[in-house]
Amino acid sequence: MKKLSFTTPTAQKIYNDYFNRVSRCTRTLPEDDQREIMMEVNSHIYEATLAATPQTEVDILVDALESFGAPEVVLQALVADKKVKQATRTFNPRHVIQALYLNISNGVGFVLFGVIYLLIVAFGTLIVFKLIYPQHTGLFIREGHSFAFGFISELPGGLTELLGNWFIPVVAVLMVVFYFLNTLLFRLLKRK
Amino acid sequence: MNTEFVQNWFSQVKKGTLSYIILIILNEKEYYGYELVQEIKIHTTLEVAEGTLYPLLNRLKTDGIVESKWIEQESGIPRKYYTLTADGRETLREMKKIWLNLGSAINKIQK
Repeated sequence: MKKLSFTTPTAQKIYNDYFNRVSRCTRTLPEDDQREIMMEVNSHIYEATLAATPQTEVDILVDALESFGAPEVVLQALVADKKVKQATRTFNPRHVIQALYLNISNGVGFVLFGVIYLLIVAFGTLIVFKLIYPQHTGLFIREGHSFAFGFISELPGGLTELLGNWFIPVVAVLMVVFYFLNTLLFRLLKRK
Repeated sequence: MNTEFVQNWFSQVKKGTLSYIILIILNEKEYYGYELVQEIKIHTTLEVAEGTLYPLLNRLKTDGIVESKWIEQESGIPRKYYTLTADGRETLREMKKIWLNLGSAINKIQK
C-alpha cells in the first residue's frame, strides 16, 4: 500500500500514528483483510485531504481523520464481521474465541454460542480428569434420586458411579453433538 | 418534549434508513467510498462518522447487494468503487415499495 507523505513532520507523525491504530484494530484478521481495510481507510483519507479547503497540512489531515472517526470505534463492526467470516471458514478455536469476544454485544445468540463452546471445553477437561482421577469422575447417583455429572473431589458415602469405562466415549459423543449444534448455531447467526 | 427519547428514536431511524439511502444513491452510478459519503451528506441531514459507512458497505457486499472493485489512480492511491448487483437492484425495488407503503400508512394515521 502506498502511504501518504506530508511535508510537515507533525502531519506525517499524526498520519503514522493513526494508521498504527488502524493496524492494531485489525491485527487479529487475515493479512488480506488487514490490507483491504488499510487500503480503504488510506484511500478515504487521501480523497478527503484532496477535497479539503485550503488550510495548513496538519489542519487538513486532522479534519479528515476526525470526520472518519476513531478507528477503534468505526472499524469495530467491520473487524467483527470479518472475524466471524474467518471463524466460520476455519473453525480454528483461536478465531472462534476472538469472533466471540468481538461480537459479544451482538446478542443472546452469541452468548449462547459462548456457553456451548465452554461446555465443549469442560467436557474435554472431564476426559482428562477421568484418566487422572477415575474414581472421582463420572456420572454419580446417590440413593436412586440425586445425580451428579463431572468431577467430585470428596466422594460422600452411598454414591455409585454408573458409566465406568463408558464415561469417556459418552463425553466424547456429547462433545461431538455440542460441536455440531454450535456449528449450526454459528451459521444461523452469521446468516442473520 | 422528551429530547432524549426523540434523539434515540432518530438514531434508530438513521440506522435503519442508511442502507436504503446507500442503495438509492448507488442505483444511479458507481461511487467510491469518500464520494458516496459526500453524496449522502449532500442529500440528507444525517450526521454520521464517515468511517461507519464501511462496515455497512461490507455487510451489503456480504449479502450480495453491492459489489466492489479497486481501480488504480494516477496518484498511486487506488479507489474502491461500489456498485449495485442485480440482486441489489431487485432488493431496492422491494425496499421502495415497503417505504412507500409505510409512508402512506403514516400519513393516513397523522391526518
